[in-house]
Parts: sequence; C-alpha cells; structure tokens
Amino acid sequence: MGGSLCPGGVPQCSVTDLQALLLALLQGVSELFPVSSLGHTILVPALLHWTNINRADPTFLAFVVILHLGTALALIVYYRKRWFAIVRALVVSVIRGRLSQDRDEKLGWLLVVGTIPVGVLGVLFQEPVRALFGSPAPAAAFLAINGLVMFAGEALKQRQQRERSRATLTGKASALTGKVRPIEHLSFAQSVLVGFAQSFALLPGISRSGASMVAGLLCDLDHEDAAEFSFLLATPVIFAAALLETRYLVAPDAHVALVQAVAGGLVAAIAAYLSVAFLMRYFESNDLRPFGWYCLIAGVVCFILSKRGFVS
Amino acid sequence: MKMLALVLAVVFFVLGVLYGLGTINVFTKSGAEHAHHVSHLVVCWVLALLSLIWYRFQSSPAR
Repeated sequence: MGGSLCPGGVPQCSVTDLQALLLALLQGVSELFPVSSLGHTILVPALLHWTNINRADPTFLAFVVILHLGTALALIVYYRKRWFAIVRALVVSVIRGRLSQDRDEKLGWLLVVGTIPVGVLGVLFQEPVRALFGSPAPAAAFLAINGLVMFAGEALKQRQQRERSRATLTGKASALTGKVRPIEHLSFAQSVLVGFAQSFALLPGISRSGASMVAGLLCDLDHEDAAEFSFLLATPVIFAAALLETRYLVAPDAHVALVQAVAGGLVAAIAAYLSVAFLMRYFESNDLRPFGWYCLIAGVVCFILSKRGFVS
Repeated sequence: MKMLALVLAVVFFVLGVLYGLGTINVFTKSGAEHAHHVSHLVVCWVLALLSLIWYRFQSSPAR
C-alpha cells in the first residue's frame, strides 16, 4: 500500500480496531447474503452512533477498498476451479475465433455479457446515486423494498412452477420444459437481464445477490443455480470495483493502520468464504423468503428509527 | 454486424482516450478531477476490446 500507514492506534485513523473488525465482518457476510452490504454499512454505523466515521474520509475509503478486495479474493478462491476453467475456455474461444458448445465457454461469455450492464451503469451512476440516497432513511426504505422484491420473486417462481407442472400433466409441455435449466442454458439476453437486475444494487439497501437471484429465478434457474450464477457474476464486479478504487490506498490523506488493514481484509475474506459456502448449501433446499422477512422488518424498523431521530 | 462491431470498438476506444485526457466530463461527478476519469477510461476500453472480440467472432470463416 502506498498510503501512509499508522501503527494500529486510534488517534490518526478514522475507525477504531473494534469498529474495523465489525465492519469487516459485516462486509464479508452482507456482500453475499441477499441483504445489501451497502445498506448495512450505512445503517449499522448510524444505529450504533459511530459518529467518528466519515464515509468520504480517504482513510475510511481506503479501508473499504481492502474489505472489498478481501471479499473478491474469497469468491475467487471458493470458485477457483470454475474460474480457471472459465478463463481458459474464454481464451481458447477468442483464439479460435468462434463459439463452441463447451459449457465453460458458454458460462464465461454469459458472465461477460451479464457484467456489461452493471459495469457501465456503475461507472456512470454510482456516485450520483450514492450522493442522493446514501443516508440511513433511504437505505432503510430500499432495504424494505429489497425484502418485498424477494417475496415477489419467490411468488412469481412458484406460479411459474405451478403452471409448468399443470402443463406437463395435461401433456401441453415437452419433458424438457418441465425441468429447471442449468446455468449454461441461459440465453445471452437472459444473462443481460440478470446483469441489469444486479445494477439495482447501486441503490443502498438493494442487494446485489438478491436482485440477481430473483432475476435468475425468473429466467428458470433453480435457487442453487441462481445463487451460483449470482456469485460468479458478482466476482468480477466486486474485484474490478475494488481495483478501480485502489487510488484511495495511495491517496496522500489516507492513513490506514497496517494491523487494521490486514486484519480487516482477512476477516472480510474469511467471512465471505464461509458465507458463500453456507449459502450454496442453504439454497440446495431453501428459498429467499427468510432473507425477505429480515430485510422487510429491518428496513421498516430502521426507517422508523431514522425518522424519529434515533440514528445519527 | 461486422461493421457495427468495428465501429463500436473505434467509438469506445476514442471515448476512452477522451475521458483519459479529461476532454469530456459527461457522467463524471468530479468534472475535471483526473482520478475519476480513469474508471470511465477503463470501462470504455474494456467495451472496445469486447467489440473487437465480437468482430473476430463475426469474421470467423466457420460461420
């Protein structure tokens, strides 16, 4: 890191060691759970009255970059075999100059195509959107909306499944349409749709994984595949966003404590790794509704608290 | 489609250069501040690269 490092003490740095640890844990977990990491990193410090944290402070921004790098690295490590196969297949297809039937290649191009909307919209609108909505009340409202979106997604998915099973019973559908698709059978247009849904996470309180999972479910993926596609789609976005913001690490005003930085990055990475491992098992047989309830209740409570002046 | 891919590649490349030089500040929060435009430059060049790959796929004799 090029920014000046302070030895781990509090006075020069914008966050205390305990705050750094909690923020790292919060980032690692909430980035992958469909509950909005951005919303939580706005709401939790406000609820706990961490008035020493200034979100525009170069030191704090540099610390956040490290947390994002930790999260992205955890995702890359978790899906290392998949990413290796995907990157190799992409390189081979570019050299060959045409698309083949290879599953890794198809998945790779789906991820590339799905990343374009969030990449473009993120660069164009991230800062104005955060300037407009980056305070507790809007974040709480969007968190509640995030919960409703997950309920709506689950309801639509169930309706799809009911209609499909009815069609199969009456012989109107082929055996193939009765099955839920694996990721590689998505079309490029559907991948763009999922990527576009992911870009709603620019709004604090809307979850990246939640939005892209709901879109994936509506594109006929089951919960496990929708979660996996969502995590694979999130990896380049989180990693690229962190890389593009590494300028904060070398900013002359950034005084990140070395101990805080290393510990924070490590805690975020471990939390993210455990979260993705847990969620992939969870979505084998469960759905988004528990997260929907959490977001709805937490959003409504935080919104009321913020309107009554209980958050700073 | 081949021509479209090539035109898009050129447009995105030039846009990237203009953002990098700070000649255009459209959709940038900080206006003339240099650092912010690096993100725009990188995204434009990535889109230019993807357009070139698309062009290559269109040009393949196997198609």
